[in-house]
This record gives sequence, C-alpha cells and structure tokens, in this order.
Amino acid sequence: MIAPKKITLTIDGHKCEGQDGQTILQIAQANGISIPTLCYLKHLSPWGGCRMCIVQIAGSPKVVPACSTPAPDGKEIITNNETLQKLRRSTLELLFSERNHICPFCVMNKGDCELQQQGYRHGIDAISIPYLYPAWPVDVSGKYLALDHNRCILCTRCVRTCEEMEGTHTLDVSNRGAKNRVVVDLGATFGTSDSCTSCGACVAACPTGALFDKAAAFRGKLGTCQTVRTTCTECPVGCGLLVYTKENRIVEVFGDFDSPVNQGHLCVRGRYETWAEPRRRILQPLVRNHGKLEPATWDEALKVVRQAAKKAKPAQKALLVSPRLSNETVATLKKFERIGMFVARNEAALCANNDRSPDAMAKLHDADAIIVLGAQPSRAQGVVAAKIRTTVRVRKAKLLIFHTRKSDLDPYATICANVVSLERKFWGRVADALRDAKRPVLIYGPEAMTPIGVSVLERLVKIFEAKTAGPAPALIALPTSPNSLTLAAGGIEPIEEVGPWLDAKPLKFLHIVASDEPDGGDRLLDERYVWALLEEIDCVLVQAAYRSRLTDLAKVVLPATIWCEKKGAITNFEGRELPLQAILPPRGEARQDGEILEAILK
Amino acid sequence: MSDKPKVKVATVWLGGCSGCHMSFLDLDERLVELVKLVDITASPITDVKEIPNVDVGIVEGAVCNDENEHVLRTLRARCKVLIALGDCAITGNIPALRNQFKLEDVVARGFVETESTQVGDIPTAPVVPTLLKRVRPIQEFVKVDAHIPGCPPDADTIWYVLTELLAGRMPKWTEKNLSYD
Repeated sequence: MIAPKKITLTIDGHKCEGQDGQTILQIAQANGISIPTLCYLKHLSPWGGCRMCIVQIAGSPKVVPACSTPAPDGKEIITNNETLQKLRRSTLELLFSERNHICPFCVMNKGDCELQQQGYRHGIDAISIPYLYPAWPVDVSGKYLALDHNRCILCTRCVRTCEEMEGTHTLDVSNRGAKNRVVVDLGATFGTSDSCTSCGACVAACPTGALFDKAAAFRGKLGTCQTVRTTCTECPVGCGLLVYTKENRIVEVFGDFDSPVNQGHLCVRGRYETWAEPRRRILQPLVRNHGKLEPATWDEALKVVRQAAKKAKPAQKALLVSPRLSNETVATLKKFERIGMFVARNEAALCANNDRSPDAMAKLHDADAIIVLGAQPSRAQGVVAAKIRTTVRVRKAKLLIFHTRKSDLDPYATICANVVSLERKFWGRVADALRDAKRPVLIYGPEAMTPIGVSVLERLVKIFEAKTAGPAPALIALPTSPNSLTLAAGGIEPIEEVGPWLDAKPLKFLHIVASDEPDGGDRLLDERYVWALLEEIDCVLVQAAYRSRLTDLAKVVLPATIWCEKKGAITNFEGRELPLQAILPPRGEARQDGEILEAILK
Repeated sequence: MSDKPKVKVATVWLGGCSGCHMSFLDLDERLVELVKLVDITASPITDVKEIPNVDVGIVEGAVCNDENEHVLRTLRARCKVLIALGDCAITGNIPALRNQFKLEDVVARGFVETESTQVGDIPTAPVVPTLLKRVRPIQEFVKVDAHIPGCPPDADTIWYVLTELLAGRMPKWTEKNLSYD
C-alpha cells in the first residue's frame, strides 16, 4: 500500500501537517484548533449541512464547510474572523427561530445541548429575527426513546447513525423547506416502527433534546453525574458501557466509544433493558416458612441452607449456575461436588471447542462476504447484528445466512437458506456468491453444531477448498450465553437440558445460581418435567437478583447483585478479558455471587 | 452620598412568572449598593399607576395581551435604555407555548375545561385585557438596548449587566456568563 501523501497548510497562522484526503476539520482538530460544529460526528460520514464549521481559504471569495472539504495542500485557512462569526451567528439565529428551542423545560437542558453551547460560544443573548413558534408533534410512542420535533435542528446525525452504526435506516428526513422533518419508517412512529431495534444510538448522537431516553428525562444534568466505564454482561460480545450515575442511581447508559469491541454502539439489551425496565428485585434473603416465603436475615437463611445441605449426602447435592458468572467465581465453583451451567440449546459443543475469535468485530467490519451459520445475532447479539448490517449496507459486503429459523437479518442477505432443504444446484449459487470474496468471514453459532449445521459447514469447507470460492474464511464462534466459554474452559459442565441432568441422580439439595439473569432463571421451568423434578427436591436454594416463578418455588432465596454492582471480569467471544466495575453499592442486602457461594461452603 | 444625580429606573412585569424580579431581589446586600446609585421609581411592588420618565427601563415577561403591549410601549417612550430581563422577554419562553394552539382552545382549556371547573365562563368584561393571538418577545414590538437571558437570570448576571451599564459600557456575553435556563 502506498502511504498517503503528506500535505502542509496554514490554519489561522499555524503550520499544520496532515495527509492527503483528510478534511480541513480533521487536520485542524488534530492540531488543536477548534472549529465550531453541529452536524459533524467523528464516527459518521461528514454531512456539511449545518454550516457551523465554515472556513475561508485565502484567495477564494467563498466560505466552505471544514468538515467535508478536503484540505488543500499549501493553502492558508482562516477559521475565525468577523465575516465567519457573523455568518455562524446568523445560522444559529435561524436555527433558534425555526423551532421551539425553549431551554428551561428541555430534557436536554443538562449543559450538554450542543445548540445551547454554540449559542453561548457565539455570545447570542437574543436573536434579531422573529420566532416561528411552529406546532410540531412529539412522538413518545417508543418503548424507551422519544422524538420531539420541536427541538430538532435537522443535523441528520440520527439518520446517519441509524444507517452507519445500526444499519437499519429506520430514520430519514422527508418534506422540504420549513416542513423538512425526521421520519421513522417513512412516516410511522417509534411505537409502530417495524425496523427500529431500539438500539438508542440515535439518542446518543442527537446534539439537542430532539431524541431522548424516556427513562433518563429530567433525571438530572449529565454534567453533574459521575461516569464509570464497565462491561455489558448480557451476551458474549462484552460491549463497553459508559454509565452515568447520580446519588447511587443510574441516570443513563451509553456505549463506550473507547471500547475496542463495540466502539460506542449498543443494542437494546445493554442500552436500556438493564436499567430502564421495571424488574422485581430481591432485596433480602427469603426463607419458606409454613409454605410462605418470608424475609429472613442472612445468618438465618444461611443456617437453613447449611442444615439442609448437611442432611443431603454429597451425591444428593448439586449446583446449577448461570453462564453469566464472572471469571473470578470459577475457583469457588470448583469447590462444589457436582456443578452444571445451564446454556442455550446446542451451545455445549460450542463450549467444548472453546474457540475464541480475536478481533472478530474488526474482521466483520472489513469483511466483503459474511456467512452466518446457525447463529441469530439479531436476537442474541445485537451489536454483532448491527456490525453485519452496516458491513452489508454501507460497505457492500455479501451476506449468506444458513439457518433453520427466520431472522431479522434475512432481508439483507444475498443468499438466505433454510438448511433443512438444500438442493445440489443451490451450492453452485453459494460458490458463485463467494468466488470473488477476498475477506470472507464465517460466523457460527450453537445451531452450527447440530448434524444439519455440521453438514452445511462441511459443504462450505468443500467450496472453499475447491477454490471455486475465495480464500478460506476467518472463523468466528458466536455463543449465546455471556460467559459460557470461560466457565466451561474452567471445568464447569455446560448443560443444555436441565431435566435429564437433574434426573441422573436423585437430589435432595439443589442450589441454583441465577445471578442477575433478567428472567431470574425462569426459563429453566419452560423445559418439560423440570418443574415437577424441582418440586421433588427437599431443598431448592435460588440465588438471584430478580423475582421469578423459580424463586417463588424455592425453599430459600438469596439476593444476588446485578451487573452494575458486580466486581470482576468476563472474557468475551474475542478472548478479551473485560473488567466489571461495581458502579453502585449492592441494593438492599444483595451480595456478590462469589461471596454467597463461599459463605455456603463454610 | 455622591453628588452625581441618581439614575432613575423603572421595572415592569408583563407575561412572566415574576421569577426574574425575584432573581433581581436575590442581589441581596448588593441592593444596598445599587440604591446608592439608582432610584427605583416604579416596579411591580410599588403602587404607581403611571410610569414616570426614567433613564433605564427593565422589562420582565413576554407580550401576551394588549395591556402588556401598552405598558411596554409606554415604558419605551419614557426611558432612555430598555433592558429585557429574562427569557420570556427575549424568546417568549413558557408563555409562548400557547402559540402552538388556537387562542379559542387555549382560553377554553384555561377557563372552561379545567378539571376543577364546574361551570366555566370566559371573561369578557372590558377591563380584562384582550389576549393577543400569539405571545411575542418584546423586541418584536420595541427597540431593546440590552438583553439579560436566563430563566431566571442569575443575580450575579443581573448585577454584572447593571454595573456595566452604570459604568457606561455594554455588557459582553461569553460562554462564561450566558445561560438560557
């Protein structure tokens, strides 16, 4: 590759170096020269729509937007003079007058509204043109986010984010002139939108209060919040989170742009479900007395647990844990006699392989052909799905999906196959599609481990070996459960079907660690006979953060901490060890999972 | 006491919540300093029927009805320097929220449809000021010489503007002293 040509230009009298192809704004920012912007965001394609970043190139009578003008070699750039100030001020006055930008009752009145900041920066105490006071609707029909057109400046940061980060293109703009507005699905609302995934990236990108998180509205100025970085434990991707807290409460959760995994992007689970969803938290130990669960102290509850454990022989005891426990708990878990970890269907084989895929997200970003086999990223790993969609839509990669079930990614696929019925002719089409692929990537999930999945995998291997396709694909194993690979590698047996495992040996004491599973481990009861089997066990101890049918049938319930209270680390599907920060003190009497396990061992 | 004649000031309260006047009173002990330099001739707490001729007029609130407009125009005619105090006077702010609706609907909501109203009646007596079709900031009616944004403006900001004007300078607005809330 040829190194890009170096260029030199003078910005406001400073000699600045950069590379050919960089914009004036990029070079100015790299050299510490601040140019006001509104529609520009570093990670999005430049738009040049707001005209705040206008600059002058010496010798030219025109003003140009710095964000979308390639830096001219050897030229002199002026970023600030009276003309530019006047023009920027006029632009701001037009923006302020066009809609109802009334700061005192805006959700974004948190000191971080960029329109407000630009008003301050340009010394606007009043505007010289009449206000229009238009009547714009507010769409609060979305589950987590809302759109207030009164606050919109049409910078299209949300539109570009939706296209370039989530890849769904739910948002766009319609109409002309003063009627120009952001639309959801060509005129639907967030509540009725088919394509919106509620990833909330548009809210994070919005410079004003036009798009906002309902749960965070009027909860305090972000500028006065503490910010902590941690890792999302909802799936094996391990996205970086930037959590805003105030007085031991979570105010808002955003993606961490410094995270090498998600680079600022999140899915609905990490962005909202962990904090903007009402869940029934367990705040103190509960012990069943005369058929009713009653509050107890930790000492009382542990006493009941130890007595019940003592009554059972070692062979009659078992520990069943959630795959979202931290790496640190492995050592403690190994001290127990019989341990199992409940994982998704077909995930055990994936755990046995323990394939980590270093830099998987980067490979997906650069791929020109993506094969998805037996994985459902749009359901289980939203940020991977977003990466696939953007690679397909924005960077024009091919997408081949092999699955027994439908997926939200299907409409984006070049080839989408139901793996149950594949004809010989079909494989010719697959080979054709992959022929020109230079950077193919194969993502395989739990379903790839089924006999059908394996047969598809063999056919794909044959296609690549036969050189009718491009170079061998980079393989990415995509488990469903958050930390299942690490726990399995530590020696915890993955269990796909809990019933047979429970039935293998008659149990008298069963300890289930549901930890902060959003459903409180409820899904275990969806399996046939499990409920009946649990009812036969003398003592079922459930260690969980949230109430569920499972905790309702337990003899003892111990309160566990949730994601924002946990300490330790998890290892994601790429093999990165990612830290979990205890952002808040445990609520009520909740304790760390490892701590509870150690206490029971005593 | 200095021999210099005191600057005469009048303040009026149009369509606003009086928060800006409260913020003005928040000058606290600086009010003592201020009255050494100025005479506050008329204000919402003085029972003055006619605004006298003054040097400085200070206006809180937006123009919502014909009486607001009359008071504003009178003050403008009788003062040398007119200051818009607070967001309502400058942008319309909260009172201007009603601009998104029809005036009949707003009046009906306020006097007839409120949950606590048994039998509603829209006042029509001639002494009741007539509402303007749209609430407007004061600079759309008269020339304004200085603006103090904020909802309400900080006492410190008010002090800064007043002391600058008394010193014969125009206040300078930067990121440090501007606030729209």
